[in-house]
This record gives sequence, structure tokens and C-alpha cells, in this order.
Amino acid sequence: MQFKSQAVAKPYFIAAIGLFVGQILFGLILGLQYVLGDFLFPAIPFNVARMVHTNLLIVWLLFGFMGGAYYMIPEESETELFSPKLALILFWTFLIAGALTIVGYLAVPYATLAELTGNNILETMGREFLEQPLPTKLGIVVVALGFLFNITMTVLKGKKTSISIVLLLGLWGLAVFFLFSFYNPVNVVLDKFFWWWTVHLWVEGVWELILGSFLAFVLIKTTGVDREVIEKWLYVIVTLTLITGIIGTGHHYFWIGTPEYWQWWGSIFSALEPIPFFAMTVFAFNMVNRRRREHPNKAAVLWALGTGVMAFLGAGVWGFLHTLAPVNYYTHGTQITAAHGHMAFYGAYAMVNLMMISYAMPILRGRAANSNKSQVLEMWSFWLMTVAIVFITLFLTAAGILQVWLQRVSDAPLPFMVAQDKIALFYWMREWAGAAFLIGLIIYIASFFVGGDEKEAA
Amino acid sequence: MSGAFTKSMARNIFYGGTIFFFLLFLALSFDTHSQLPKRDMRANITPQIAEGKKLWEVNNCIGCHTLMGEGAYFAPELGNVVVRYGDEGVKAFIQSRPKEGIPGRRSMPQFNFTDEQLNAIVAFLKHVNSINDANWPPNSQG
Amino acid sequence: MPEPILIPSAEAPPARRLPGDLAIWFFILAEMLAFAVFFSAYAFARASHVEEFNLYQQTLDRNLGALNTFLLITGSWFVVLAVQAAHQDKGPAIARNILLGWLCGGGFLVVKVIEYSAKFGAGISMSTNTFYMFYISLTFFHFMHVILGMVILTVLWVQARKGVYGSHDAHGLESGAAYWHMVDLLWIVLFPLVYVMR
Repeated sequence: MQFKSQAVAKPYFIAAIGLFVGQILFGLILGLQYVLGDFLFPAIPFNVARMVHTNLLIVWLLFGFMGGAYYMIPEESETELFSPKLALILFWTFLIAGALTIVGYLAVPYATLAELTGNNILETMGREFLEQPLPTKLGIVVVALGFLFNITMTVLKGKKTSISIVLLLGLWGLAVFFLFSFYNPVNVVLDKFFWWWTVHLWVEGVWELILGSFLAFVLIKTTGVDREVIEKWLYVIVTLTLITGIIGTGHHYFWIGTPEYWQWWGSIFSALEPIPFFAMTVFAFNMVNRRRREHPNKAAVLWALGTGVMAFLGAGVWGFLHTLAPVNYYTHGTQITAAHGHMAFYGAYAMVNLMMISYAMPILRGRAANSNKSQVLEMWSFWLMTVAIVFITLFLTAAGILQVWLQRVSDAPLPFMVAQDKIALFYWMREWAGAAFLIGLIIYIASFFVGGDEKEAA
Repeated sequence: MSGAFTKSMARNIFYGGTIFFFLLFLALSFDTHSQLPKRDMRANITPQIAEGKKLWEVNNCIGCHTLMGEGAYFAPELGNVVVRYGDEGVKAFIQSRPKEGIPGRRSMPQFNFTDEQLNAIVAFLKHVNSINDANWPPNSQG
Repeated sequence: MPEPILIPSAEAPPARRLPGDLAIWFFILAEMLAFAVFFSAYAFARASHVEEFNLYQQTLDRNLGALNTFLLITGSWFVVLAVQAAHQDKGPAIARNILLGWLCGGGFLVVKVIEYSAKFGAGISMSTNTFYMFYISLTFFHFMHVILGMVILTVLWVQARKGVYGSHDAHGLESGAAYWHMVDLLWIVLFPLVYVMR
């Protein structure tokens, strides 16, 4: 570890992994509720479990992004973090606020929670992914601003590398676009229109800057390729991302009351959205092939390559599958969307965080890389989780195709629930794949506790 | 081919391209906003519909259902549910959910709505159904 | 490369050299790809609305379109002259030709605004019908590219006035010129496709 203050990243990474476990457990509950409808009813209805699942996802990814930034920025800026103390205060604030929110979801009915937390003052709750009570939303803003202040001040007092600049843009964008979560007009079309300014411009916009920046950082460290080379490719990739992704928002404006021309604009630009993901994959493989040294941390390199490939498959290929308006007319709001969502989030954001943790954690624990035994275990977990998510995606895709056929295309369209019963087999298989994912995750955590012969200290 | 490839050029293109496409997105959004009043039926929004939307939100209906295709995929699309069941059918369905669920089946909670609240929810769902959403969904099954 | 850049034979470098920066060529490629998909979408939509497209195509002002084609080609020519002047170290001619190219772009915008005001004045919008949707989308998308091209030319002009470019370094100038030629080339495809072809 080059700078003492990088150590604040450690609790962030640990919290991220902990919340990740929670996300997967609730995912398994949801998967089971798909086939055993009354499982845990009425204690934990589906909507509550789903809210916990998706909110935990967002929060653990944010913990990962923050931890990654706290680790990376001092090293990039070649100076200690502006305020490690602030970083720790914000860590506990965010963790406690997050935990209280989840407890709130599980302990009281959602309507009661809304009542108790001042939703009547400013109605922001009850919209997908933005279900957080008002105090939590405000807390997120405060934590984000404190975090950004800390990171920005560090960059300002140190070296300003392209990787830090791209990361800062991504993080500031994340904070700015979150503000749209406070705008909830009565007009449901406007509500949905701006809801996407948070959701889409996060995951297909500014988050990709964070992803690209993390990837570039780990590639520089593990391959020894010239910074100049990696940084200019980073710029090319994030340019491609934003020129396709910003107008690509249009693929959400097909059927929500917005004008028909979005069907063309959205289709055309989102048809180009796989290109930046493809470029990212080629970039990662190219840099690893041109490596100038053998970094002892093989697992981190594996995650780096994995995130390139899986982001391309999940976000690029599975996104393209249903993004053209004439196709989307039939697939919109079906299991096809769920299939895409699972692989894209895992491939792009879960994996890039796991890559960062894989690279940074050994160093934070005082060694360049983990023991061979530990790395082998981590690589097993990589393959198990990745193959599991591929199967989850394939089963959901199969379920989705059948659902579209039975419910929307065939001559005698079936009611939703009748169609669901007919595709239950695929939901069962998805649940088994989900169980395999959990085993992969357990092995991943176990890899942290495997010792063996330690490599030389960093 | 010996063309140079410089970081400063790549950076300038990143900034230029991003600003360009964001402005284009704003221009399109601006046009959308001038067209929306003809499509989103905002003139018809009553306090009752607003109340219905609030009930929709504070009971987290989107956690199971979709509305115009957005939401969770656990339970049916509701943007056109009034077409499938009719106003009274929707109310009767919501009211008749057993508190402990239906054994073995996906179950909707019993929310204990008052008649007034039920009317507001139906008003909201009817309003959503009236929005011009390019003929989505493909059929009444949603 | 799709762009025929006129380099006088006396100036032609011995090895094939890509003028400008590789980064700008990635951008140009991405932009042309976006336009290519847009043009294909136009062709695809036209195939199922031939009557409508032919009917409303008549309402477009081809003379203004032709004038704009002339303006952009002339503008490209001036920019070529500017690059040549740089290679020959003719300092003042660089800035002058960039400015003339810029003015051609400005002329394009004026003509286009006249054309738009007639159309918008008649109550035509992107939601009128499929043909007008494509007409406005494609030409406006291109219109913004002309503006971006002119911003780039402005930067080049300022740099040229400072004497940055010459035979020792025409890197930035060539990159900007390549982009300006792309804007021109796209219009040369767009004009016949939307205004003329039946």
C-alpha cells in the first residue's frame, strides 16, 4: 500500500461483500416465490423481497465504487486522501442508514413506512429502484456530496491523471442524476420520463465511466502497459459509451406515452450501444496480451477480463436482442428484460467491483497478492458465479420467449398467470442456477480466509 | 499507416462528443415536452387520479406489477387492467384478496382499502389506460 | 479511408500516412456508423411507406438543398486549401481559408434556418408523419454536426492565427479538417437520399 489513507477502502469493500450476500439471499427467496407463490407470504411479500434485492444491489455497488475510489484516488493523485476521518464517518453513516432502510422495508408495511418517514412532505417513494424513504434519499445525497468533496479535494491537491478525471466525472454524474429521484410529478408520463434520467443515465451513462476508470487502473497496475496507451483508449471507450448511451435512453421511451419518433432514435442509438462494450473487451484482452510483467495477482486479471466479456454479453448482446422497437413491442416488460438485467448488472458492475476488491484487498492486507491456494479458490468462485449467471440468463431468456409467445403473439393469447404456470419449469431451473451462484459466492468469501504460503509484502 | 494517436486529442473528442450528444438529447427532450400534452392526457388529471397514483406508490404496486411495461414481472401488467376486468372487476379483485394468501399460489396482499381509495386507484388506472402509448401492450392480456 | 483527401502530388508523402489523429478517425467512424444506421432506417421505413415518402418529398425545397450542397463542398475546398497552405508554410493563407470555410458553414446554417422556419411555420413537426420525422431528425442531426464542425473550425482558426500550424505540425489542423470533410460527405449522401431520390 503506497499511501496510509488507502486503508479506508477496506471497510467499504467488506460492507460491499456483506450486502452482496444479502442481495443473493433475497434473490433466492424471490426465485422461490416465482414457483412457490405463497413462500414466506404474508411475512415477506414478493414486492418487499424484490425491493430488498434491488436496493441491496445498488447499495453494495455504491459501497464498492466508493471503496474503489478511496483506494485508487490517493495512488493516482500521489497524495494522501484529503480526510480519511470523513471517509470513515461517511462509511458508518451510509451503512447505518442503509441497514435501517432495509429493516424498515422488512419490519413494517411499505405504506406505514411511507407515512412514518415523511413521504407526505415530498412524495418520492414507490417507484422502481427509488423506493428509499425520503430520509434515506437525503442521506444518500449527503454521503455522496461528502464523498465527492473528499475525493475531489484529494485530486485537486495531487496529480490529475486522466483516470481520476474520468472517475470524477462518473461520480459527479452519479450524484447529479440521482437528484431526479426527487422529482415525482403527478403526470405519470413525466414521472417515467425523468425516472429514466436517474436509472438509465446511471447504468448506461455515468456508471460506465466509473467502470472504465477502474478497469484502466487495474490494467495499468497488473499489466505494466504504458499509462499513456491505456488512458487514450479509456477516452475512446468512454466517448463511444456516451455518444451511444445518452440518446440510447430513447429505448425506454417507446411505450410510455412519449412520441413515436423515440422508436427510431432509441432503436438506432441503442443498436450502437454494444460497440463500446465490445471495444472494452478488446481493450482488456489487448492490454493483458501486451503485458510487460507477470503480476502475481492472477485472480484480479481474470476478473478484469471477465468483466469485459460479461459486460459485452449481458449489456451489449442481451441488450441488443430486445432493443429494437418492433421486437421490444413484444418483449417489453417480460422475463427477457429480467434476463438482460441480471447478466448486465453482474457482468458490468458486480464484476468490476469484484475486480477492484480482488486487486486491492491483498494489498490492503499487506501482500502483493494472495497465496496460490487462495487465488485458485477465488478463480473457482469466479467461474461458478459467472457460469451460474449465464445459466440464470439463459433460463430467463427461455422463459421470456415462451412468455412472449403464449401471452402476446399466439392466436389465442393466454392470461398472464396461466402463461406463468406453463413456464414454471424454467423458473425452477433458474432457482437451481441461483443456488449455484450462492455456492460460488460462499467459495469467494472462503478464499479470503485461506492462508498458505504468503507472497512478499507489497 | 503512421497516423499519430494522442491523448489530448482523445480527451478533447470525449468532452466535445459528450457535450454534443447531451445537447442533442436535451433538444429531443424539449421537443418531447412540447408534444406530451397531446399524449399524456394531463388535462384530465383530477385530485382523485392524483390520490390514486399516490396509493399506487405508497403500496409499492410496482414491486410486483408492471405499468406500461415497467416494474416487476411477477404479476400482470396493470396499464390496461381496466380493459381486462372492468372498473368493478378491478375493485372486487383487490377487495377479495385473502389475508393469508392462497396456498401454493402467488398472492396479492390484502390492503384493506376504503371504497374511496378503491375508486381513486381505479381512476388512476383508467387514466393510465387512456395515455397514448403507441398501442402498447399488443393485446388485452398485457 | 472513405474520405478522398486531396493532397497535391508534389506534396504526397512517400508512405501512406493517415492525416490527423487516429482518435478523430475513431470518432468519425462512430459518427458515420450512426448516420449509416439512420440512413438504413430511412430506407427501411421508406420501403413500407413509398407513397407517403414520395408525396411529402415534393414539399421539400430542393433549390435550397442544392445551394447548401454547393456551400458545403466549397467549404470543404477551402479547408483543403488551408491544409495545403499549412504544408507549404504559407502562414496567412491557413487562417484565411479556414475562415472562408467557416463562412460557408455559416451560410449553410442560414439557408437551413430559412428552410426550417418555412416548415415549422407550416406546423410540421417530428410527429407529423414518418417522412417528416426522418426529414427533421436526419437534417437536424446533421445541422448540429455542422455547428460542431464550425466550433472546431473556430478553434483551428484561433490556433492558425497564433501560427501553430505549418509543415512541422499540421496534426490538429488535419484532424479538424477530416471532421469537416465528414460533415460535408454526410450531407452529400443525405441530400439526394432525402430530397431527391424517388
